[in-house]
Amino acid sequence: MLKDEMTPLERGAALARGEKVDRLPCNPNVANGVARIYGCKISEFNTSAKAIANAQIAAYRRFGYDGVRIFTDLFPWAEAMGATVSFPDDNTANLAEPAIKEISQIYQLEPADPYKDGRLPIHIDAMKYLIDELGDEVGCAGGIVGPFTNAFFLFGIETFIKLLFKNPEAVHRACEVSLETCIRYAQAIIDQGLTPTISEPMSSCTVVSPKHFREFAAPYLKRLVAYINAHGKPVTMHICGKTDKIWEDIVDMGIAGFSVDNVVDLKHCKEQIGDRVKILGHVDPSAIIYAGPPSEIRRAVAECVQQAWDSPKGYVIMSGCSLPVETPLAHIDAMMNAAREIGYPVVPEKLERMIAETPAPPSQPEIITPSEKCSCPH
Amino acid sequence: MESQESLLKELSNHVVDMDEEMAVETAQRYIDGHFDAYEGIDKGLAAGMERAGQLYEEEEYYIPELLMCSDAMYAGMDILTPHLKADASKDKHKVVMGVVEGDTHDIGKNLVKIMLETAGFEVVDLGRDVPPEDFVAKAIEIGAEIIGLSTLMTTTMENMERVVQILAEKGQTQIQVMVGGGPISSGFARKIGAHYSRNASRAVEMAKSLVGEVVPC
Repeated sequence: MLKDEMTPLERGAALARGEKVDRLPCNPNVANGVARIYGCKISEFNTSAKAIANAQIAAYRRFGYDGVRIFTDLFPWAEAMGATVSFPDDNTANLAEPAIKEISQIYQLEPADPYKDGRLPIHIDAMKYLIDELGDEVGCAGGIVGPFTNAFFLFGIETFIKLLFKNPEAVHRACEVSLETCIRYAQAIIDQGLTPTISEPMSSCTVVSPKHFREFAAPYLKRLVAYINAHGKPVTMHICGKTDKIWEDIVDMGIAGFSVDNVVDLKHCKEQIGDRVKILGHVDPSAIIYAGPPSEIRRAVAECVQQAWDSPKGYVIMSGCSLPVETPLAHIDAMMNAAREIGYPVVPEKLERMIAETPAPPSQPEIITPSEKCSCPH
Repeated sequence: MESQESLLKELSNHVVDMDEEMAVETAQRYIDGHFDAYEGIDKGLAAGMERAGQLYEEEEYYIPELLMCSDAMYAGMDILTPHLKADASKDKHKVVMGVVEGDTHDIGKNLVKIMLETAGFEVVDLGRDVPPEDFVAKAIEIGAEIIGLSTLMTTTMENMERVVQILAEKGQTQIQVMVGGGPISSGFARKIGAHYSRNASRAVEMAKSLVGEVVPC
């Protein structure tokens, strides 16, 4: 296996100064698969801050990737506001019941207290352990879902969708109270010394129209980003699925980085918004990284780098979404090793060689345009 | 008196326009006019749902719009269905579907179900968070030709592969498996021995071709 010469923080700082680095940053987005490396059950993340942090630390030590994050699933904030979440023994948590049964209840709903409600205090404790252990070598993030996505879970997804048409006022109220929860949690992340990152999967054009995004999601997302920026932190945002129709809206919010799903055209993304935000993405987490083989992963990484490495505000090799829990570890190694082999500065001829060395699979997979939002958690 | 043709057109339009109330009202006028209920569903409401599916393909409509259209369709069907003649229902191709264990997101599954029913399939919906064994057991029990599996989360994809494995273990490989959802790709489907469709309207075409019905191109 190839070795890194710099820590992720050294690499990031040097890149920002335009100095020499060993390779591009690379984040496979291992998500709850970290449990497999640490050797615990995913359900332990629901009760143990130590388990969350230790699993993140173990996975970082194993792979040396450029970014760790406390984020186990999409539902801790809705749960902290009254939703019921089911906890499989060894898989990612699920929404079981929304926070409210009647629409009128939205007007009584209180924002969550990150130090008291649901699993939020566990996540905050995990952040402390994480930054204590890794804070001087790798960027430590606290993940949070965006206000619009959280609002879906307060009403339940289908009910919420109908309210978009039938009761816009209730939707706005749900987004407002979600925003307050998000802001409080973002402040808690900042207070522990970590950087907030936002996942807003329901904003995807694969789920809602750009019109609904602009009316219901964007205003609250923008205020969340503004809050975090005002408290001295840059924000990276991930939206699953198609996003090209809302790229300009997203960039206008003042984010520092945008993590894109593998369904978007990475080169097009770089050309359109790369002058204003860092681009992160977008190796296919299922068809490539989970499925392998390693030679395919190497080729796919080279293809992504070819499309976006020269993005003006910077580029990070990343998977298009969280990896499946059972992704073979050798496949994650293959992704990291491809980044190390490519090195820095990037030499386009070398990328071409890497791509040419692995022939394309017999039948080219069709372009994936999923009928639903992408995999989560991120 | 209104012609059947104009009422069918109206039914179709109400579905596309997401207008549940008008779909009910027009369905009632259609019945009052003593027109054939099956044609009202097939050439009116279902035709509208197909147009909505087309708008979704063209990215004019999104998932919320499709769900509102299907509400209008079902509201109209509630009026028309009691008037169906008994012989209108020929033997239908059967599909068992659900969201795989570990995932409770079911919008996509519901959309595929609606589109399949619109296209004349009989769909047994096992709901959300369904263990792999249950899909196979139900499919064998009712003689289904297709199992449709949906997931939104990369974390649950192994359970899709498990369904294909159980079918093989039980010697039921004539039952075809269709997979779909956010993290799923044709590459993944090929790897596990299943069929992939990238959205609800493609799923219908896929299902038709799997049961040997000719699909117009």
